Amino acid sequence: MDSLLEQLDRFSEVLAVSRTTHVSTWDPATVRRALQWAGYLRHIHRRFGRHARIRKALEQRLQNQWKQEGDSGPAPAPDLANFQALGHCDQLLSLRLLANPALGDASFHCLLQQLFPGPGVPDAEEEALQGSLARFASCRAAAHMLRFHAYSENPVLQKDSVMKTQAELLLRRLHEVGEAEAEGPGRLLSRLWERLPQDNFLKVVAAALLLPQASPRLQEEELGVGSPKTPGDGRQELLRWLLGKSDIVVAFCRNLPAELLTSVVGRHPELSPVYLGLLTNWGRQLHYDLPKGLWIGTEPQDVPWEELFSRFQSLCQAPPPLKDEVLTALKSYKAQDGDFEVPGLSIWTDLLLALGSRV
Amino acid sequence: MAEDSAGLPSNYQFWMQKLSVWTQASTLETQRDICLHLPQFQEFLRRMYETLKEMDSNAIIERFPTICQLLAKSCWSPFILAYDESPKILIWCLCCLIKKDPQNSRESKLNSWTRRLLSHIVSTSRFDIKEVGLFNQVLGYAPTDYYPGLLKNMVLSLVSELRENHLNGFSSQRRCPERVRSLSRDRVPLLTLPDFEPLVEALLTYHGHEPQEVLCPEFFDAVNEASLLKKISLPTSAILCLWLRHLPSLENTMLHLLEKLISSERNSLRRIKCFMKDSLRPEAAACHPAIFRVVDEIFRSALLETDGAPEVLAGLQVFTRCFVEALEKENKQLKFALKTYFPYASPALVMVLLQHPKDIPQGLWHQSLKHISEMLKEIVEDHGSYGGPFESWFLFVHFGGWADITAEQLLMSEAEAEPPEALLWLLAFSCSPGAGHQQRARTMVEVKTVLGCLTKLFRSPALSARDLQAAAGENLGGDPRPPACQQLVRRLLLHFLLWAPGGHTIAREVITLMAQTDAIMNEIIGFLDYTLYRWDHLCVEAHRSRKLARELLTELREQALPGQVNQ
Repeated sequence: MDSLLEQLDRFSEVLAVSRTTHVSTWDPATVRRALQWAGYLRHIHRRFGRHARIRKALEQRLQNQWKQEGDSGPAPAPDLANFQALGHCDQLLSLRLLANPALGDASFHCLLQQLFPGPGVPDAEEEALQGSLARFASCRAAAHMLRFHAYSENPVLQKDSVMKTQAELLLRRLHEVGEAEAEGPGRLLSRLWERLPQDNFLKVVAAALLLPQASPRLQEEELGVGSPKTPGDGRQELLRWLLGKSDIVVAFCRNLPAELLTSVVGRHPELSPVYLGLLTNWGRQLHYDLPKGLWIGTEPQDVPWEELFSRFQSLCQAPPPLKDEVLTALKSYKAQDGDFEVPGLSIWTDLLLALGSRV
Repeated sequence: MAEDSAGLPSNYQFWMQKLSVWTQASTLETQRDICLHLPQFQEFLRRMYETLKEMDSNAIIERFPTICQLLAKSCWSPFILAYDESPKILIWCLCCLIKKDPQNSRESKLNSWTRRLLSHIVSTSRFDIKEVGLFNQVLGYAPTDYYPGLLKNMVLSLVSELRENHLNGFSSQRRCPERVRSLSRDRVPLLTLPDFEPLVEALLTYHGHEPQEVLCPEFFDAVNEASLLKKISLPTSAILCLWLRHLPSLENTMLHLLEKLISSERNSLRRIKCFMKDSLRPEAAACHPAIFRVVDEIFRSALLETDGAPEVLAGLQVFTRCFVEALEKENKQLKFALKTYFPYASPALVMVLLQHPKDIPQGLWHQSLKHISEMLKEIVEDHGSYGGPFESWFLFVHFGGWADITAEQLLMSEAEAEPPEALLWLLAFSCSPGAGHQQRARTMVEVKTVLGCLTKLFRSPALSARDLQAAAGENLGGDPRPPACQQLVRRLLLHFLLWAPGGHTIAREVITLMAQTDAIMNEIIGFLDYTLYRWDHLCVEAHRSRKLARELLTELREQALPGQVNQ
C-alpha cells in the first residue's frame, strides 16, 4: 500500500513537470515510462473504484496535496484533484505533452507512436487512449460548433449551458476542497473573487445557488457511484462565504439582474433579510424632487428609483412566502414613516402605490 | 498501395477546392455543404492516410506539395473535427509528417508546424470559450474536466427547449418549425457523439403541429446509418418514430438484413437473430402493425424475386419467431387484432400457426399438422376467400418450422404404415406453392416412394451411402423431378442423416455425393444452420443429432469458405 501511495506522489510530480520546459530533458524512454505509469494508475482506478479501504487511502493522500498547496501554491488545485481524476490521468498527461513545445523531436515522435498507433491496434488499452483523445477533440469541436453555430445564449441565466457548467464545476471544487479542509472553500472563493472578472464570477455564484438540489448527475458521475462519502453540498459553503463578506454581498445584490436575485432569494431564504436590508438602505438614500415629482439620488452610486421599483416588483411576483415578506416589510417601513397615503412624502408609500397597481 | 492511391490525385484536387470554399466563408450554405460531404470526406481522409503511412515525410511533400494546406484547413473546421472518426484519421495523417530526427531547418519547421496542428486538434484554445477558459484555469480544471460536461449541458438544454416547444405548441414561437428543421440538419455531423443521443431521441420523438415533416431527410438517413453501424444506440420508441416518419430508413434496414442473409460470408442465423434484435427491433413491429406490414411486404417481394431462396425463408422465419415473442411480451392483451398484422389470411389458420410447437405435447403434433394441412388445402384447392396459393404459402412459411416437423414425423413413422395424405400434401405444398393440383399430386407420389424406402432404412443396422442414394434416386422411366421436388428430397435425406441411428456413419459420404454444385452446398449449410437454430427453439435434446449437425456445419463451412469459420 505504501508503495502505491508513493507511486501516486511521484506521478503527481511527473504530471506537474509535464507542462514545464523541464520535459526537454525527457528522452523517449522517459516518455514511455511516464505513459506506462499513467496507464498503471488508471488501472488502479478501475480496479479499486469499489474497494472502500484502498480508495479511501488514495483519496486521503490526494487530499493531503490540497493542504500542501492550500495557501501559497501556484496552482489552485493539484493536478490529481480526486480519485476520479486517476481515471483519466493518462489523458491529462498526454494532452500536456502533446501541447508542450519543449519536448524534443525524438521524444515527441515516440509519444505519437504510443498515443496514436493507428487503426487496428491489438492492445485495447492503447486503442482506448487513442479513442478517448480523439473523442475529446470531437467533443470540444462540437461544443464550439453548438456555441457559435445555431446555439444562442439562454437569456435565463441559470439555464444557460455555459453558466450551468461553470456552476457545477465550482460546486464540485468546493466540495473537494471542503473534504480536505474545513477552511478550504472560503479561501478558494476569496481567491476566485480576487482573480476573476467579478461580474462573471457573481453570475456563476448565482447559477450555482440555483442548481437543483444534490444534482444526481454530480452525485453519480463526478463523484463515482459507490463513493463512501455523501456528496457535500457546496452551496452551503458558498452561502456562508457570501453572507460573511459584506462588500461582496453588496456587489452580488447590486449587479445581478432583478429576476435572478428574486430566484436566488426565493431558493435561499437566508439571503432575504440581507437583500431586503440593502434595498431599504438604497431606498432611504433617495429624496423626493418636488418640481420634477420624482424620487432621485444625490450621489452617482445611488440606486435609481426605476431600478429599486423593478427589484421590488420582481420580488412581489415571487411565490407567497417571499412576496408576503416583502410586502409586510414595505408596509412596516411605510408605517414608520408616518403611514401617509399621499405621494411624495415617503418612498415606501410611493413604492407600495406603484406596486399596488401592478402586483 | 498503387491500387489504393489510384484516383487519389483527382479526388485530392476536388477536396482541396471544397476545403478552400468551406474555410473562406462560414455561411449557412457552406455549412450545409460541409454536412452533406462529411462522410465522403472522411473516406477520402482514410484513403489519404493509407497512402501517407507508407511514405516518408519528404516523399509525402514531394508527391502532395499542398498536403499541409489540406490538413490545416481540415483542422480549422469544427464540423470536420466533430465528425465521427475524422479527428482520429486527421491525427494519423499528421503523425505521418513528423520526423524523428529532423536533418535540416526545413524538416524542423515541418515538425514544429505539424506539432502545433496536432496540439490544436486535441488541446489548444482556438475553440475555447473565453470567459470559461479563465474560470477553469483559476479553478484548476483541465479542459478534459470541462468540455464533456458543457456538451452534455448544451444537449440537455436543446432537449428541454424542444420539449417545451412541444408542450406549448407553436403559438409562442412562430419560427419553431424552422428551428427544429435546422437543428436536425445542422446536427448531422454530431450524431455519432455519445452525448448527443438524448437530442437525437428528442428530435425523433418530437412531433410538431405542422402538416409537413419538420425534420430533414439527411437527418433521418444519418441516424439510421449510425444506428445500423451501432455508432449510436437508440431506444426502440425512437427507432419506431424514425421508421414511421421516414420509410426509407426501414427499407434500408431491411436491405441490410437481406444483404447479410445472402452475403457470401453466410452469417449464421444466431447472428442474424442478434442483428434483428438490435436493428430490426421485432418489438417495434409488434407494437406497430404498419411496421410489421412493411417488413413483411419486403420479405414477400424478396421471396418472389429469389424464387423462394432458402436464406430469405430462414430470415423470414427467424423474424417471425422474434416477432411472435415480442408480440407475446408486449401485447399480452393484443392491442391490435391479429387481423391487422395478417389482413389477408384466414384468422383461424393464423391462430393455429401462431401456436409454438413447443407449447403443444409432441404426441399432438401430428394432429396439429393435419389440421393445418386441411385448412390450407381448403383455401388453396377449393379457392377459398383468403388469397391464392402463393398468399397461403407465404403465410405458412412464416412458421416454416411446421414443414420441418412434418418431414421429421413422416421419416420416423412406422415403416409399414401408410404415410398420411394430409402430411404428404403439406410437405408437397411447402416446397412449391406455384404447383398446380396435378403437379402437387406427382410430388406427393414421389415423396411417398422416397419415404417408403427411407423409413425402411431408418433403423437398419448397416447403412450405406449407396442404399441411400438408391432410395432417393429418381424413377428412371419418368420425367426428371422439378427442382423444388429435388430440393425437398434432399431435405428429407438430410433429416434422415441427422435422425437415423446410423446416419452419422455415412453422413459425410452422402453429402459429398449430394453436393454437386456450390448452390447445393450452400443449401446444405443453410439447412444445418437453420435446423440447429430450430432445435434450440424447440428445446430438442437429441444430443447425437445435434453433435452431428454441429460437426457437419463446421466442416462444410470450412470447405466452402476456408478461414472464415469462426467469424
